[in-house]
Amino acid sequence: MTPPLTAVTVAAASTPSAARQASRLRALGRMAREQPLGAMGAIVLAVMAIVAIGAPYIAPFDPTQGDAAALSSPPNAGNWLGTDAFGRDNLSRLIYGARISLLVGLGASLLGVVVGAALGIVTAYRGGWADVVTQRVMDALLAFPMLLLALAMAAVLGPSLPNVIVALAMPIVPRAARIARSSVLVLKAATFIEAARATGCSDLRIMLRHVLPNTFAPLLVIATAYLGLAIIQEAALDYLGAGIQEPDSSWGLMMSGSATSLALTAPWIVIFPGLAICLTVLASNLLGDAIRDLLDPKLLGK
Amino acid sequence: MKNPDRSIATDATRRKVLKAGSAALAVAASGPRWAWAQTPKRGGTLRISSGGDPPDFDLHQSPTYLSQHVGAPCYSTLMRADPKDYNRLLPDLAEKADVSADGKTVTFQLREGVVFHNGMPLAAEDVAYSLERIRKPPKGNVSPRKGLLGNVEAIEARGARTVVVKLAQPQADFLFLVSNPFNVIVPKKVAEPLDAQGQGMKRQIVGTGPFRLTQAVNGQIYELTRFDKYFGAAPFLDKIQFFPIKGEIERSAALQGKRIDGCYFFPNESVLATLRKVPGMTVLRRPTPTFINVIPNAQRKPFDDPRVREALSLALDREAFIKTVGPLAGAFFHSMGLMPPSSPYSLSVAEVKQFGGYDTLPGLGGNLAANRQRAMTLLEQAGVPKSFKVVVPTRGDVPAFRDAAINVAGQLKTIGLDATVDIRDAGAFYAIETKGDFQVVVHSVGMGGSTPDQILGEGYTSYGGRNYGQWKDEALDNFYRQQSREPDPKKRGELIKQFQLAFLKTYYQINLAWVGYGAAYWNTVQGWTALPDLYGNMQFDKVWLDA
Amino acid sequence: MLDYVVRRLMLGLVTLFGVAVIVFFVMRVLPGDAAVMLSGAGAGAVSEKELAGVRAKLGLDRPLPAQFADWAGNVAVLELGTSLRTGNPVIADVARRFPYTLQIVVMAMLIAVLIGVPVGVLSAAYAGSWGDQILRALSIGGLAAPSFWVGLLLILLLVWLFQWSAPLMWEPFWVSPWKSVTQLFWPALAVGLRQLALIARMTRSIMLEVLGEDYIRTARAKGLSEWSVVMGHGLRNGLLPVVTLIGFEFSALFGGLIVTETVFSVPGLGQYVVTALLDRDYPAAQGIVLILAGIVVLGNLSVDLLYGWLDPRTRVQVTEK
Repeated sequence: MTPPLTAVTVAAASTPSAARQASRLRALGRMAREQPLGAMGAIVLAVMAIVAIGAPYIAPFDPTQGDAAALSSPPNAGNWLGTDAFGRDNLSRLIYGARISLLVGLGASLLGVVVGAALGIVTAYRGGWADVVTQRVMDALLAFPMLLLALAMAAVLGPSLPNVIVALAMPIVPRAARIARSSVLVLKAATFIEAARATGCSDLRIMLRHVLPNTFAPLLVIATAYLGLAIIQEAALDYLGAGIQEPDSSWGLMMSGSATSLALTAPWIVIFPGLAICLTVLASNLLGDAIRDLLDPKLLGK
Repeated sequence: MKNPDRSIATDATRRKVLKAGSAALAVAASGPRWAWAQTPKRGGTLRISSGGDPPDFDLHQSPTYLSQHVGAPCYSTLMRADPKDYNRLLPDLAEKADVSADGKTVTFQLREGVVFHNGMPLAAEDVAYSLERIRKPPKGNVSPRKGLLGNVEAIEARGARTVVVKLAQPQADFLFLVSNPFNVIVPKKVAEPLDAQGQGMKRQIVGTGPFRLTQAVNGQIYELTRFDKYFGAAPFLDKIQFFPIKGEIERSAALQGKRIDGCYFFPNESVLATLRKVPGMTVLRRPTPTFINVIPNAQRKPFDDPRVREALSLALDREAFIKTVGPLAGAFFHSMGLMPPSSPYSLSVAEVKQFGGYDTLPGLGGNLAANRQRAMTLLEQAGVPKSFKVVVPTRGDVPAFRDAAINVAGQLKTIGLDATVDIRDAGAFYAIETKGDFQVVVHSVGMGGSTPDQILGEGYTSYGGRNYGQWKDEALDNFYRQQSREPDPKKRGELIKQFQLAFLKTYYQINLAWVGYGAAYWNTVQGWTALPDLYGNMQFDKVWLDA
Repeated sequence: MLDYVVRRLMLGLVTLFGVAVIVFFVMRVLPGDAAVMLSGAGAGAVSEKELAGVRAKLGLDRPLPAQFADWAGNVAVLELGTSLRTGNPVIADVARRFPYTLQIVVMAMLIAVLIGVPVGVLSAAYAGSWGDQILRALSIGGLAAPSFWVGLLLILLLVWLFQWSAPLMWEPFWVSPWKSVTQLFWPALAVGLRQLALIARMTRSIMLEVLGEDYIRTARAKGLSEWSVVMGHGLRNGLLPVVTLIGFEFSALFGGLIVTETVFSVPGLGQYVVTALLDRDYPAAQGIVLILAGIVVLGNLSVDLLYGWLDPRTRVQVTEK
C-alpha cells in the first residue's frame, strides 16, 4: 500500500526544485478542479485565517469599546453589521472572534490529533497490556458526549484560552488514537514492519518513517472533520460561560447574555455570529470531504 | 436623566420625624391607616416572578433581593416602613419603642399573642437572638448588615415581651436601621442549633409573617400560603407563587401572557417601554438607594496602592457608563458622592469634580483622554506591568452586575489592563466576594433605606459587612461615628459631607451610578405600593386580586 | 448471539468503569485541593484546621485508589452526595430532572426518524428537483450550524410568530401527557435537527440505491406495485444503517441536549450539569457527569445489542469493532 502523499514526494524528489514547485502546484490545481466544493472550502478557510491574523489592521473599531451613542443599532454605513447592547461594533467583534474560533479550532484539532495519534501508534505498535489499557481508556473517553467532557475540563481548569484548547482536544484524542491504531494494525498484518525490523531499524525509526506517513492521510481527514466540530463546541462553551469571557470577543459569546434579551428587537446581534460559525464549519466540512474523496480512491487503488 | 415617578422624600422630613423620637412612633401606632376606594376581595393566588432562585432563605446572611422577596412575606421586623410615607415607621412586632433621654437606651415593647409558623410563641429572647445574630454573626455565618448595628453595645431580653438595646452613643437613625427589611426576627430555638451546625436558616423559613413557605422547588416555584395565626390584619391573598424567570424578555413575555400577575424587577428600558404599551398594565419606575461601585481589593497587590485605585477611577467614563448600562440595567442616576443623588447630603458638582474620573459625569466637562493618560502614568509609577491581568467576577443573573462588569472591564482595557469578567451564579459570586477572593469587583449594593447611617454605616465603614474591599481605616470609621451621634442636624450635615470627601479620596470604592428598577403588574392586582426601595413593603399583606 | 451479547455487556461494564475513573480524575484529582472544592462555597474563609477536618471527614487524606473505591461504591448504590447549591441530595435532584431529559431524548429521536425518513424518501423520489436540491443544501448547512444557535433562532421565530414564551412550570409526562409533549416539542426539535438531517441524507442515498437495483426493475416488469417493493426493500436495507447512525450520534445528541436545555430553560439534567459545573458544585457535578456518561454508555450498548439482533451476520460471527 503506497500512500499517495509519499508517492508525490518520492516522485518530486528526483526533479530540480523549481520543477518540483511547478509539479506540486499542478497537482494542487488538478485536485481543486476535481473537488470544486473542497477548493471553495479551502479558500474560505484561508480568507478566514487572513482575516483572523490581520484583525488589528482589518477591524474598523476596537471590539471591546462601545459607543454609548449607538447602542443596538441596526446595520448602517458606520457599522456595517450594526452594534450590540454595549455599542460595540459587531463587525469588529466578528473579526476578532474569528481569531478565537480559528485558534481554538486549529489548536484543539491539531493537539488532539497529535496526542491521539502518538498514543495510538505507540501503544498499538508495542501491543501487550499497555495497548489494552489504553484502548479501554479511549473507549471510556469516547463514551462522553464531546461537549460534556470539554465543559467539565474547562470548568475545572478555569476559563482561559489555553485551557479551552486542552479541554476541546480531549474528546478528539480517542478518535485520532483509534484511527492511528487501526492503521498500525493493518501495517503490522501486512508484515511491513517485520521487514523493516529485519533490516535493523529501531522502533522509533520505524514508527516515524513508516507508520506515521501511512496514517497521515486519515488523520488529516479527521483533523479537518474535527476542526469544524471544535469550532462549534468552542462557541457552545463560550455561550455557556465556560470559555472565553467578556469583554473579549468570540462568536459564541456574541450570542449570549444581553444578546438574547435584545434578540427580538435586534436580531442581527444573534444572527451574524451564527452565520459566521456556519460558514467556517461548512468550509472545513467541505474541505474534509474533499480530502477524504481525494485520498480514498487512491488508497483503494482505483 | 430620567425623572423618577416618585422622588425619594427628602431626609429633611425624616430628620424632623426623628427629632420627635418615640412620640412619632406612638402616633403611628394608633389606628389603621388603610382607606380603600373599593372593598378588597379575599382569596386568590398572586403569581409573581423573581429574577432567579433564592440562593438560600437566611435573610440575615443574604445580600440579595432574590432571598428577601421570597422571605419578606414570611417574616416580620420590629418596625416596618409606612407604604404611604417612606420616612415613617409603623409598628410591626414592636408595639412601642421608647428612646431614653440621653438617647443611649431603646426599649422595645413586643406585641402579645404572636406565634411563629411552627406554633412557638414569640418571646423577647427571639428578638434578642436575631439582633445579636446580625450584629455578631455566629461562626460560619456572614452578616452584610452588621454595620447597621455597629453602634449597639448590648441587647437584653427582659421577660417575655421587652427588649432593651443599649447604644454606645446616641444615634438618630437607629430605629430605621433596626427596621431594615432584612433584619427579620427568627425563632431562637430553631436558629441557634442550626447556627451551631453551620447551616443557619438557609434551608427553611420559620417566621411570624402573614404567609408561610409551603413549597420550594429549585428552578420552578416557591409557594407561600396564608398563615392563619398571623398577629396582624389577615392578608387578603390565599397564596403567593414566585416563579424564578431569568431574563427580562422572558419575564415580560410571561407577564404579557398573563402567566404571572406582576413582577418587581425590570431594569431594562426597552422591556419597560414594551410593557407601557400594553393596556391594563401598570408600569412603575423607581429610583432606589442602590448603587453600583467598583471595589478593588485593598488587601491584594497592586490594589493596596492608592495610586492604582485612583487609576481605576480615572479610566472610567461615567457618562458613557450611564448611557450604556442605563437602558440595560436601570443605572440612570449619576453619582454625586456616597449619598443618593436627591439626598440633601449629596455633594455638589464642584466637590465631586476634584476626584479622579468623576469629572466625566454628564456636563462636568472632563477630558477622558487626559484622565486615561494620567491613569496609565499612575500605573507605571506604581509598578504595574503592561497588560496586567485583572479578573472581574460578577453575578450573571442581574444586568446591574453583569452588564456593569462587562462595561467596566472594557473600560479598564483602555489603560492597558488585560481585564476580563468571570460570570457566576449569585451564591458562588457572593462566596467569592465574602472571602475576598478577587482583584476587582463591580458590585451593586441595594440599601434597605436611605438614612445616612444606613448608607454610610452599611456601605462605607470598614466593619460594616459590605467591606468587600477589605480596607481598614480607623480614622474614617471614627469620622462615621462622629456624624452618627451629632445631634445638631446642620453640624451633622457638614460632617456627612466631610466624611464623603475623605472617603472618596481613598478610592476604596469607586462610585459609578445609582440604579432604579421597574415594576409592572396587571390592573387585577390592587393595593401594591412599590416604595423607592428594592426591599421595603414586600409582604403583600395589603395586596388583593380583583379577578 | 449469546456470545456477542456477553461480549458487549462485558465491554459496556469495562467502559463504565473507565468512565468512572475519568470522572474521578477530572473532578477530584485535577482541581487540586479537593477539600476546598468539596467543602464548598462556604461563608467566610475556611481555616486550615477546618480544611483538615473536612479532609478527614470526606476521607481525602487516604490514598487515591481507596478514595476511588469509596466513591465508586457509593455511586453504585446511587449515593451521590449533597448538592452544595440546592442543599438537596443529588440523587433527589437527578430524579426530579431526569424525566424531562429522557423525554427530550426520546422525542428528539422520534422526530429525527419520523420526519427524517419520509423527507429522505421524498428527496430520493424527486431526486434532482429543486425541492431536493434545497433540502440537500439545507441539511449540509444544518450540520454546520451550532445547535444552540438553531435553538435561539427557533425561539426567535416562535416569539415573533406565536408570541411564544417559555413555560413557567414544565409539566411532567405522567401529570399531563399532551401538555408536556407540546411544551417539550420545540427543545426536542432543536436537539433532533442534526440527527434529522443525517437520517434524511442517509435515507435518501439508500433509497436511491434501492431505486436503481435490479430487483426493482424486475418488480416493475412483473407489474408489482413499485411503491410497496421500494418501501419494503428500502426499509429493510435502511434499518441497520439508521440504527447504526443513531448509535453513532447518541453521544452527540446528548452534547446538543446540554446546551439546548440551557437555551430553552428546561429543568433537566443538561441544565443541571451546566450550572453545577460553572458553580463549582463539585459533589453534584461529579454525580451528574457520571450519570450522563453512563446513560450514553447504556444507550450505545442498547444500540449495539439491537444492531446485533437485526444484523444476521453478527449472530454467526463476532465482528471486531
